[in-house]
Amino acid sequence: MNQNELDALGFNRRDFLKGGSVATLMTMLGGVELFGQPAAPAPESKTTATTKVAVIGLGGWGREILRTLATLTFSPPNSSEKLPLVEVAAICDNYPAALKRASTEAPKAAQTADYKTILENKAIRAVIVATPTQLHKEIVLAALAAGKHVYCEAPLANTIEDARTIAKAARGAPELVFQAGLQLRSEPQRHFLVPFIRSGALGQFVLARGQWHKKTTWRTAAANAEREKAVNWRLDKEISLGLAGEVGIHQLDQGSWFFNSRPKAITGFGGVLLYTEDGREVPDTIQLVMEYPAGMNLVYDATLANSFDAAYDIYYGSYAAVMVRENKAWLFKEVDSPLLGWEVYARKEKFYDETGIALIANASKSVQAPPPTADQGPKVDTTLASAFENFARNCAEMDVQTEEFISTYGDDKEAMKTELGKLQKKLRPAASYLEGFQATVTAIKANEAVVTRKRVEIKKDLYELG
Amino acid sequence: MNTNLGRPFSFLRGRAILPLTFLLAACVASRGADATGSRFVSKPGTAKVRVEGTSTIHDWQMEGTLIGGYLDAGADFPTKPGAEVKPGKVNAKVEAFIPVKSLKSYEKDGKPYSDKMNEVAWEKLLVDKYPRISYRVSDLVLKESPKSKDGAYVFDSTGELVVAGVTNKISMPVNVTPMEGGKLHIVGTTKVKMTDFKVDPPSPTMGVLIKTGDEVKLLFDWTVEQKTAPAPPSKP
Repeated sequence: MNQNELDALGFNRRDFLKGGSVATLMTMLGGVELFGQPAAPAPESKTTATTKVAVIGLGGWGREILRTLATLTFSPPNSSEKLPLVEVAAICDNYPAALKRASTEAPKAAQTADYKTILENKAIRAVIVATPTQLHKEIVLAALAAGKHVYCEAPLANTIEDARTIAKAARGAPELVFQAGLQLRSEPQRHFLVPFIRSGALGQFVLARGQWHKKTTWRTAAANAEREKAVNWRLDKEISLGLAGEVGIHQLDQGSWFFNSRPKAITGFGGVLLYTEDGREVPDTIQLVMEYPAGMNLVYDATLANSFDAAYDIYYGSYAAVMVRENKAWLFKEVDSPLLGWEVYARKEKFYDETGIALIANASKSVQAPPPTADQGPKVDTTLASAFENFARNCAEMDVQTEEFISTYGDDKEAMKTELGKLQKKLRPAASYLEGFQATVTAIKANEAVVTRKRVEIKKDLYELG
Repeated sequence: MNTNLGRPFSFLRGRAILPLTFLLAACVASRGADATGSRFVSKPGTAKVRVEGTSTIHDWQMEGTLIGGYLDAGADFPTKPGAEVKPGKVNAKVEAFIPVKSLKSYEKDGKPYSDKMNEVAWEKLLVDKYPRISYRVSDLVLKESPKSKDGAYVFDSTGELVVAGVTNKISMPVNVTPMEGGKLHIVGTTKVKMTDFKVDPPSPTMGVLIKTGDEVKLLFDWTVEQKTAPAPPSKP
């Protein structure tokens, strides 16, 4: 894939093709399936070890995942040495060129076109599934059955039935970590915001508004017709959940998280406004109005035709509004809202005529707090890094506790599932199978609303796993 | 002289039957000690372990939910509610252990506190070499029988506590409450000094130097369940 293709998919991150164009070309040539050398064992610290994982699905997002995983480190106790939190032991894709290209991000990983070989490898503790949405189910079910922890990208599946099957399988394996790819649910700033919002600081909710704007085609060129169809699955109206499902799901889920409820109805609009030449029927511009039981609506718009103001969400209440952008947030107070006190010391930023008070986790205590040290864990800059940091540590935690349980009580599977199930609540924050399922239901219904241009009601029991 | 050589073993008649019967009975009886389930094993899902400590900054606590091991009850050990036991030495063999990595730090409100603290604690306990803390009871003395049928028997236990590979003889008061269904609920608490086990109280730097107090309080709540009896031996 070249720069254009990456832009087409809307990956507006750092320039990750620095010096890569020749390498890119080389990986596009040939197409021979390689089985690389098994990765050298990571140095083990005395108490925390590196977790071996595999990434299945090596498109643009799979490669972004590989890059993120490489940044995660930890320090053993009483040492400032940095060790990798995760070792990518294997990567998998059924398209040889994708496999080769991804291998530059994980040169020591074994390469395979068959995910089953990964599941048979006992040393690999977790798999990350980043294939096209409609292909998640088969791999996730097999991985859980093989006793692997699973990170399944969002949306979980492109049908409610498949999403339910995945979630139920995860529920049946409480000794395994299942994390849905809703990375905002692991992001520390939002965890600070949720209790702040729920404490009533915004007053009564009246509205939420979100947008995602990025001028990008979503169409990727490919070497042959078969590959063309496979790689442009987002533009296949039979398969794709469109902008609502593939992009909006994160912000729609965030709204439900902040409001602590799921929408009861969604009205959608959408059309192909810019990319009319390539025959696509999946809308490049959509709007949604999501109705929440308490009365407020979340109004959302996404487009592939314009980039202005990128992505953000604003939650409007009778006392204040909160704007959330990437991993920052600001509070805009009404003139008649009660004083919070700490705002006097907080940093303020001007947005045109409005003054936003920067909301930083623990800002009110910043005067007393001890200076940050290496003890507080590695610094993460992206929401994806937070999500994988938590995933890796949760996998390691569950593995240790499983081992300790078995050494204490023997191999009593029923008792083990019960005990380890209790531990799930104490893991680091991450989107669970239930949250992943409910967000997928919302996304599927949202897309349905867009495609039919109707108001679609969502009965409460649709959100239940059963 | 009357020798009865014509009929072999006839000299045994009437005399050996008793010893043979006794031998058989003894065999049955000793297997019966296992067969009637004098062994009580650790029941998953019921254990609670707590370690309470202090430091220059704040008090801390670590908790776990795994206790492994068993209790072999002697004939005079109270295994059923309402059992009559005379005060004094009681026969039982007890071995219990706690996996070090099952101990994790928590805030007072029950939320997980710090992975870093857990790792420092485990490392100080030399977890990679000694993954368990264990207690082997050598003596059990009944101090008080329960006042009511479902009350606890108050014991004084003496035994070897092994932490980070170092063994110390300790005394620990222990309450045992027999429960319906062949279960025993065992609760105990004791104070120990880390330095007695050659564990150096951690002084991590978290902005300011924190010095951990040497004395810690150990509390445990353990339920053991009678092992189901194997099928009785068939007649020879």
